[in-house]
Amino acid sequence: MHLFFVLPATVVVMAVSIFPAIYAVYLSFTNRRLMWLGTMKFLGLENYSRMFNDSLFLHSLRLQFTFMALAIPIELIIGFLVALLFLKDFPLSRLLRSLLMLPVYVLPVVSGLTWRLMLQPEYGMLGKLFKQISLGPAAWLADVRFAFVAVVLQDVWRMWPFMFMVLYAGLTSIPNEYLEAAQLDGATPFQRLFWVIIPLIKPVIVTALLLRLIDALRIFSEVYVMTYGGPSNATMLLPLYIHRRAFEFGEIGYGSALGVFLMIVSLLITYQLIKRSMRGELA
Amino acid sequence: MKKRLLKLFLFAIALFIVSVELVPILVIITNGFKKDIDIWTKSPFYFKPTVHSYYLIFSNRDFKMSLRNSFTAATISALTSVFFASLAAFGFTRFDFKLKFLLLIAILLTRMIPQITLALPFYLLFRTLGLKDNIVGLSVAHISFNLPYVLALLIPFFASVPRDYEEAARIDGCKMFGVFWRITLPLSSAGLVVAFVFAFLMSWNEFLYALVLTGPNAKTAPIVINAFLGQYAPLWGQLSASSTIMLLPVFAITLGFQRYILKGLWTGGLKG
Repeated sequence: MHLFFVLPATVVVMAVSIFPAIYAVYLSFTNRRLMWLGTMKFLGLENYSRMFNDSLFLHSLRLQFTFMALAIPIELIIGFLVALLFLKDFPLSRLLRSLLMLPVYVLPVVSGLTWRLMLQPEYGMLGKLFKQISLGPAAWLADVRFAFVAVVLQDVWRMWPFMFMVLYAGLTSIPNEYLEAAQLDGATPFQRLFWVIIPLIKPVIVTALLLRLIDALRIFSEVYVMTYGGPSNATMLLPLYIHRRAFEFGEIGYGSALGVFLMIVSLLITYQLIKRSMRGELA
Repeated sequence: MKKRLLKLFLFAIALFIVSVELVPILVIITNGFKKDIDIWTKSPFYFKPTVHSYYLIFSNRDFKMSLRNSFTAATISALTSVFFASLAAFGFTRFDFKLKFLLLIAILLTRMIPQITLALPFYLLFRTLGLKDNIVGLSVAHISFNLPYVLALLIPFFASVPRDYEEAARIDGCKMFGVFWRITLPLSSAGLVVAFVFAFLMSWNEFLYALVLTGPNAKTAPIVINAFLGQYAPLWGQLSASSTIMLLPVFAITLGFQRYILKGLWTGGLKG
């Protein structure tokens, strides 16, 4: 009986996700190209060993980790501080809180393009401002270091409110008695923060970090429209590099190997996440 | 008195943070009401509102078609996902069977396969099957991330429907599918709406599959918006106007479904 309900979705997921994923693994063992349909050769693990001699891949891997190591902690800290602020009671706090949600769901493409416009040195708002106060080069997106900073900035803008929302919800669920007890025991605000609040919402923080990690791992559209991976590969994050390999150089086989690598990293993080979030959710 | 001053001070800080945070959104909206030429030549703060850019994009057949495509792909993928996932959510919450958890986790895990990994096999498969540059094909690709997402969203809703009604219906001779269709589904209608709306949003915002899998016929609005960058000069006015159009349903959903946003994000609904 349960099959009647569960089977249709299972079949669909097999067809649209699991089969393509297995096909990607198969392609990663071949020299399949986008256009050329000549004899396809089975390469075994050659594509995978090639990865670790591919300096561009190693470069994009480094960029990817730098990006995540910079953007996510900044988002966490801003989100946490603002969540602490909103715990206090002040006028219009509900309205302001809901306005803060808006950036999270802005289309990534729109966000990337808007930042590109704002950073434009001749007529962009930020571009002009930075030029006036001589912050960095005139054209941020044309500079190897500052283009990367701009990509991080864009991501921080869009995603710190996510951290804020999640942490705010976590903070409001802390029972007041705990904080009052700590206060009665003479704990200073800082002691309360580090010894009561943070330990209590640690699971929330960890889950939020895992979610953001998986999400940041597949960043694509915003960077694609903002810098297209440039200048000179300075913002060539991993998904952009895979896209370029597969669809511009036409190396589907090698691109698939890179894709499978990314998938494995993503699933390893997800495994941790599901273990946490599914605990006790099913009857 | 001191307390009120403190409140006012906190309010001022919060207002400042929110204002700064919303600047880019304001930039999009205001630029939609400027002419391209004014954006290139005048100060960013020059603002003499005109609907010229809106007039241009709505006489642009490419944009109108892409808007329709976006809407179609989002509707098809969201509806299909809700249909299959609601059956599955019922199955997973009402029955016990061997390997239940394993199957559920396997389905949910597919949500986390990076899109770029699936884009490659999709491209080859769709080319063979004639689904390239086809709105149904794009919808199928969107189902790959929407179905597991919708399932994860629906399970708590289905689990919270009281069993008494279902048991009463069964005693009255209702078949299991009847119970699902007549009792559980209507009682979880809030969940169905939430799931549909968020799945719609995921698909609406999606760019990568549209970039790789569509061409002149099935391209969606995000592709056309990006194309306003142009070969010679970026048409920022039209780009911003069309972005604003795309943002309308996004903001309507974000503000209208506030209660569920956290749940939606917590389920892994950050990006398509």
